[in-house]
Amino acid sequence: MLALKNLQVSIASIPILRGVNLTVGEGETVAFVGRNGAGKTTTLRAVMGLLASTGDIELDGQNIQKVPPHMRPGLGIGYAPEDRRLFSAFTVEENILLPARVAKLSAGETKRRLGRVYTILPELKEMGPRPAGSVSGGQGKMVALGRALMIGTKLILLDEPFQGLAPVLANRYAEALRALRDHDRSLSVVITESNPGLLKSFAERTVTIERGEIQEMPPVEAETA
Amino acid sequence: MQVLVLATLDGIAYGALVFLVAVGLTLVFGVMRILNVAHGSFYALGAYAAASIGGALASAGLSPWLAYPMFIVAAVLVGVVVGGLMERFLLQRIYGHEETLQLLVTFAVFMILDNAQRLIWGVQPYFYSEPLRLLGNVKIAGITYTAYQTLFLPLVALAVLFGLRWFLRYTLAGSVIVAVTEDREAATAVGINARRVFFLTFVIGVTLASLGGALASPTTSVLPGMGAEMIVLSFAVAATAGLGQIEGAAVAALMIGLGRSMAVFFAPELEVVMPYIIMVLVLLIRPEGLFGKSTARKI
Repeated sequence: MLALKNLQVSIASIPILRGVNLTVGEGETVAFVGRNGAGKTTTLRAVMGLLASTGDIELDGQNIQKVPPHMRPGLGIGYAPEDRRLFSAFTVEENILLPARVAKLSAGETKRRLGRVYTILPELKEMGPRPAGSVSGGQGKMVALGRALMIGTKLILLDEPFQGLAPVLANRYAEALRALRDHDRSLSVVITESNPGLLKSFAERTVTIERGEIQEMPPVEAETA
Repeated sequence: MQVLVLATLDGIAYGALVFLVAVGLTLVFGVMRILNVAHGSFYALGAYAAASIGGALASAGLSPWLAYPMFIVAAVLVGVVVGGLMERFLLQRIYGHEETLQLLVTFAVFMILDNAQRLIWGVQPYFYSEPLRLLGNVKIAGITYTAYQTLFLPLVALAVLFGLRWFLRYTLAGSVIVAVTEDREAATAVGINARRVFFLTFVIGVTLASLGGALASPTTSVLPGMGAEMIVLSFAVAATAGLGQIEGAAVAALMIGLGRSMAVFFAPELEVVMPYIIMVLVLLIRPEGLFGKSTARKI
């Protein structure tokens, strides 16, 4: 599904990623853990093309390095950034629907995908008409996940989804992720997190990054929920 | 009392024209974060194009009413051709660079276009006031004033204001412009081509400036240097409103139009500085402008 080969990113001549190699299988949920500044977010942003990188980024065996950043979501990659990045000028539902509108999905396909989002995150349906700028930080993370799910049919990249969430919301978010995995077994998910303990219940594999390099890549653990 | 009415009508008409130019400037800045010094040149180009087309219509013996649709044609032509070429071949190379470079490049374009106007149209003023005559006069509170300035220009400004708001709110093209304005990276991550949005925005901005020039041409003599005056005024409007604020630009344009007009009638020596006095007063009280949002500084 996703294979990063010798992925390197430098910002202002300072190497941030030093040859990251990572594979994520179809339907696999990978916890991508590491301390702050280790390179987790940089890796996800490089996959989305939001940062210039060298090395290979393969999706289903095809190198997407030359695919422009705005076309990568169209390949089926959904991205929920750490700081939510919702468009406050739109309502919650408009935020969720925006990727489908941009991709010019048919009304039927849009409805089907929106239905999937609301099945996994039913609270978003209620929040739909609210201005996105009025939702709390935790609710915003849910909206960002919903928006990523609208376009991410193959791969979802979630950047520190639990950071800053109150315990109740963190549990709810974890529930939603489990529901997502049960609902769509072919969807691959990469979740970055500083605290690996939070991901034990649903990540099938944990990959650690330290100072821009993959430190360990243990075999699949029997810790799935 | 009559002088006050006259000054008010004058101010509204002038404010409507300034709004058309300033809203394009503020839209371009809001989306692309570029302060386009060449914006005034598009106003002048629109005026020259409209005056030339009007002259051609008269020479060909065609109905002068055709001048009205031709204003729009002239504005769109300048927007798509000149604005499109400038965005594609010049601005695309300087996105993300220092503001100083952007200011220098757009100032260079202003100088080039200003001289190009002198080469093409010469230094003699152009007059084409037929559209002004066609709509006749109206009488308001005992004052006879042209319907073109009293009704037509403010109506066009209102149509642009509400049309632009509708476009940004209810169309996909407008929504992607709003998304890129708010967060370019997040917009890219949902599949929006920010470069294309920049192109579209710039063409719209230039078209609006050019439309302002085209509509101004029947009310004034079209002559070299008119773009310079308008760009300075547009900057004052945009800064007073808060950069990137569309409704704010309408209010600020009206304030500055009325302020300038009142100065013309009651304190002529202040005419030139009045727009800047208003701007300074507003910025002293609200540094982010009337409608601007203050943002926390990231350290």
